[in-house]
Amino acid sequence: MPAAPGPFEQVYTTHVVGIYRFVYARVGNRPDAEDLTAQVFIRAVEQLDTSREPRQIAAWLYRVAQNAVADHWRAFYRLPVVGIDHVAPGWEPAEEPPDAPAARDGATSDRLRHLLDTLPDRYRRVLELRFLERLTVAETASAMGISHGNAKVLQYRALRRAALLGEAGDG
Amino acid sequence: MADERDPRAERFARYLDALTEGGRPSPGDVAGDGEAEMAQLAAEMAAAASQAGDPDPAFVEQLRRRMRAADDGVAAVQVPPPIRDARAVPGGRARWRLTRRQLLQSGIGAAAGVAAGVIGVTLAQRPAARPTLGGDGELVAGEGFWAEVALLDELPDGSALRFTTPAFDGFVVNDGGEVRALSSVCTHMGCTLSYRPDWRDLRCPCHGASFDLEGRLANGRRTWRDNPYRGDARAYPIELPDLVRPRVKVEDGRIMVWTAQA
Repeated sequence: MPAAPGPFEQVYTTHVVGIYRFVYARVGNRPDAEDLTAQVFIRAVEQLDTSREPRQIAAWLYRVAQNAVADHWRAFYRLPVVGIDHVAPGWEPAEEPPDAPAARDGATSDRLRHLLDTLPDRYRRVLELRFLERLTVAETASAMGISHGNAKVLQYRALRRAALLGEAGDG
Repeated sequence: MADERDPRAERFARYLDALTEGGRPSPGDVAGDGEAEMAQLAAEMAAAASQAGDPDPAFVEQLRRRMRAADDGVAAVQVPPPIRDARAVPGGRARWRLTRRQLLQSGIGAAAGVAAGVIGVTLAQRPAARPTLGGDGELVAGEGFWAEVALLDELPDGSALRFTTPAFDGFVVNDGGEVRALSSVCTHMGCTLSYRPDWRDLRCPCHGASFDLEGRLANGRRTWRDNPYRGDARAYPIELPDLVRPRVKVEDGRIMVWTAQA
């Protein structure tokens, strides 16, 4: 075993949790978050100059992560990624890079909260039950006193409305 | 609202179920106009509500080993081309490690393998090779070195791990106790395959090709009549070459993949 970690391992140790959280917040599931996190660090091995300033390294990593997420959505759903993320291409982290994404994710929550609050009651309710309280479709249906099939239709319509609102809100 | 069933909502509900149950959602369930934006929004909400924002320690350790390998020079792409004058690696019996400098100075090639006392794993005897473009069974090369990609302990039966070496991106899989390495590049258009443990296949996100753990197209038309692929409504429309399979060996519980060098 190595006496001291090498430069890549050091960069990795410093940033793996932050990058993972950053990615997870955008794809919402562990398998994809792990794949994208791995992609970021493999790209780092190929392209990152570890002798750069720590701040520059952090900025580089988060930019690569940002692009990896965008590519993920593009490749899987064949659409241009618009509005879903508000990080400018040249986004640079604050003084403490690992904290910066966490702060941003707080902003993301605020945005989602605001979005939910602008939805009609039943739409808001179904999304809260499904995603914030993590109920299954069956549990949601029973909590709302509707059929299983209706709960699926309702969550579909609620998301559609929310996605449209989100888009409008970006302008 | 009356009890209604909407096929779109039913399909999309499968995506949401996978998302909220912690699985990998299938892009195939996101097909309609505007549904991609809905999927992204759902993903963000699922993430915002989740307390599971931290990575799995096993994942972190596995990726760490890849970083360490990079530090060691195994994956150092900055390494200039041919390496000659092979020299035994000191301490080869323990974890195989080299500094980038050593990698530059010494050819690792066959010598490292011999010095470390190689025990090759038995690979499945494949049926008579079919002509392919992408690869014809094992990839065997002259110059190169063995890169450690995972520990056997981390690869229980039916699992797969992704690895990257300077020359190659692939999976090591444990198929009923037999360890194999397979390219992760779809032989159709080069998209990156994902391993699906439930199906024991490598699936292409672009057009839905599935490769079995011997690297053969599993949902192609040729085999469809006798053996339609579970879960797919239709056969993959064209035949594809097999996945490339580099050489692999297990040594002291470590899985090593042969990495060719130009």
